[in-house]
Amino acid sequence: MMRKVKLPKIQKWNKYFTAGLIMTVIALLLAVVGLFWTPYGTTDMSAAERFHAPSLMHPFGTDNFGRDILSRVMKGMGTTIFISTLVVAGSGGAGILIGALTGYFGGILDEAIMRVTDAINGFPSILLALVVISVMGGGRQNLIISLAIVFTPSFVRIVRSEFIRLRDADYIMRARLMGVGRARILFIHILPNIFSTFWVSVMIGFNNAILAESGMSYLGVGVKPPDASLGNMLSDAQGYLMTAPWYALAPGLAIVWVVLGFSLLSEGIRRNG
Amino acid sequence: MIKIENLSVAFDGAEVVKNVNLEIADGEILGVVGESGSGKSVTALTLMGLVSKEAAVTSGRIFYDDVVLASAGRPRDMALYRAYQGSRMSMVFQEPMTSLNPTKRVGGQVEEMLRLHASDLTGEQRKERVLETFLKVGLKDAKRVYDSYPHQLSGGMRQRAMIAMAVILHPGLVVADEPTTALDVSVQNQIIALLREINKEQKNSMLFITHDLNLARRLCHRVAVMKDGRVVESGNVEEIFESPKEAYTKRLIEAVPSRIKKEEKAKQRNVTAEGVKAEENILEVKDLNVFYKEGSNSLFSGKKKKPVVSEASFIMKRGETLGLVGESGCGKTSLSKAILGINKDIEGSVIHYSTRPQMIFQDPYSSLNPSKTIGWLLQEPLRVQSLADKTKAMTDKDREAAAYDMLHRVGMEDKYFYRRPSQLSGGQRQRISIGQALITRPGFVIADEPVSALDVTIQAQIMELMRSFQEEMKLSFLFISHDINVVYQMSDRIMVMKEGRIVEIGATKEVFDNPKEEYTRQLLREA
Repeated sequence: MMRKVKLPKIQKWNKYFTAGLIMTVIALLLAVVGLFWTPYGTTDMSAAERFHAPSLMHPFGTDNFGRDILSRVMKGMGTTIFISTLVVAGSGGAGILIGALTGYFGGILDEAIMRVTDAINGFPSILLALVVISVMGGGRQNLIISLAIVFTPSFVRIVRSEFIRLRDADYIMRARLMGVGRARILFIHILPNIFSTFWVSVMIGFNNAILAESGMSYLGVGVKPPDASLGNMLSDAQGYLMTAPWYALAPGLAIVWVVLGFSLLSEGIRRNG
Repeated sequence: MIKIENLSVAFDGAEVVKNVNLEIADGEILGVVGESGSGKSVTALTLMGLVSKEAAVTSGRIFYDDVVLASAGRPRDMALYRAYQGSRMSMVFQEPMTSLNPTKRVGGQVEEMLRLHASDLTGEQRKERVLETFLKVGLKDAKRVYDSYPHQLSGGMRQRAMIAMAVILHPGLVVADEPTTALDVSVQNQIIALLREINKEQKNSMLFITHDLNLARRLCHRVAVMKDGRVVESGNVEEIFESPKEAYTKRLIEAVPSRIKKEEKAKQRNVTAEGVKAEENILEVKDLNVFYKEGSNSLFSGKKKKPVVSEASFIMKRGETLGLVGESGCGKTSLSKAILGINKDIEGSVIHYSTRPQMIFQDPYSSLNPSKTIGWLLQEPLRVQSLADKTKAMTDKDREAAAYDMLHRVGMEDKYFYRRPSQLSGGQRQRISIGQALITRPGFVIADEPVSALDVTIQAQIMELMRSFQEEMKLSFLFISHDINVVYQMSDRIMVMKEGRIVEIGATKEVFDNPKEEYTRQLLREA
């Protein structure tokens, strides 16, 4: 009987929300367009055009192979956002499932799983992801899996505490008296009530995922060249920081842009409650 | 003397207090009575200079003796207010738990008043004065209270400590905003007596805000009735009660549950101590013990069992209302949860002769799922029923029709179908709660303080609604309340609980006229 799709309610558009929305939309637009069209081919090399400074022809300049940096940033942003989205979707989904079960039922299973999440939280996240990757091997797919594993505990904690808070609410008690089944209580009666909290943590998680992906690719264990990602572009650029500063500046600013836009957006949503 | 002259207060341009005139002479207690949203609290907060910044005084003035504390068009003079707040005017709030700082000892918090406003006293003298005041407000074990944290005191004691804090400096004005609403009846009476005593001794002006007319009648010299931001009637207490002039005042007075109106109804039924005669049993409780687990739910901490209900035995008949009374903490709620199977840590037997007994809760703000629409909520019991029992399957259309039908029967219009609980008032939510509980015709319903959180006029409507459903569906109610008068009006029989035990059970009239137990007599006296 769902008639209206429920979106986070924005009563008053505050400054944070507006600024965040504009920045995010621009970033997404660039990334989506980059999937289908870029001003130049992202792997088109040209010995004659190496290290050109930003110009009308190449707004962000060119790199050490003479590739157009704007094109590569567009493509790279797409890759980074795509990977981050999958990471958040995977870890968020797992977080909801595990958090709901442990929070609602409690008991020994809850204790055991919470200790596992404590253990995962005990390691620096990048380090742990590196371990997972060195076991499973690199590449895009394993990067997504390893980051999703690392990100899951934080979602579990948030979902779990919300379920603990709501499991004894009067209306849940009444649902039980009506004879509502457990699965229905968990996912139809309780889950919609935690979305406002969950939504904010998804936004924060998304930001962290972008930073983590960039970091991993920078370290060379994520997206491999010649594929573009904001992280491996930064890594390539560091050797030319003095001679071609625009090379590093473009992907760096792109990361800042996306993360800042999302932070503002989530702050705006949070302030509107 | 306090004088409020033609006061109007607006939030965002919407006036919530309109042209209010009030006067409180020295040594006088003025009661301001009204339902929630009538503007009584905003008036008091404006008087105290505590109203939020968004509020603007749009007309009138407030006098404290000859000093103008606030007037229209003038920004709030914080320095002036600071000179008055605490030392010359003070306030007692409704919720004694949240108005004391939980991390500080009670004695220190009260002493803070002296440290701020009577700086010439030494530490010794301050402590002396606090202990003295504690004794005066009836905290007999003053030394222990002084060293206690708020959570170590009972609700009544906390409220006494709050009152001590309010009166320790002998302020000229004490504002008490529903100071007894969160307390048990017996404690309520003690607090009322205490306020009266302090008023006599300190000769200060008191502004007593309440929704309970009976309380106002017992405490106040004069009463002002507020509705929609206006004072509709004011005068001496007895005058107002004996001959109310305004229709609204009359309605308020009539809505107060009293024992006289019930008389005829009770006679129609043949009620004995065992229940309505010639009816089958709907519930049998035998030798029921309910336990409460102490300690956390974690793996390694030990659990202690503590009995909260002992040896409860009673039966209930189809179509009757059994009233359950007792002070908070006596085990009423534990008993009802055990009956419904929510609390599984029990010994003894509970036999239901009805299917799916339901429960109506006290707080209408937490008993409806905030993420769903009213229509969805009303349909959910039917949906679940048809999932569990294929013979009771309904089409979507039938289910929606049934939900609309229930919406009408609880007295609400079609337009509420797609609204969410947050868009409804407390009374409306309680109606939906009742509708949701009764849509599957459960036969037996536990109502745990269903009207305690509501205004008196709404209370009367909800009780009427419950009675009409009862007649039609032959429902049995286990009706829990701390309000003896409400129980009297609703119940065929009454059961009295004390410290986890049922001390008396019998036909309502019988129990009221000839209570057998001393504890019952005490409860009745206090009400």
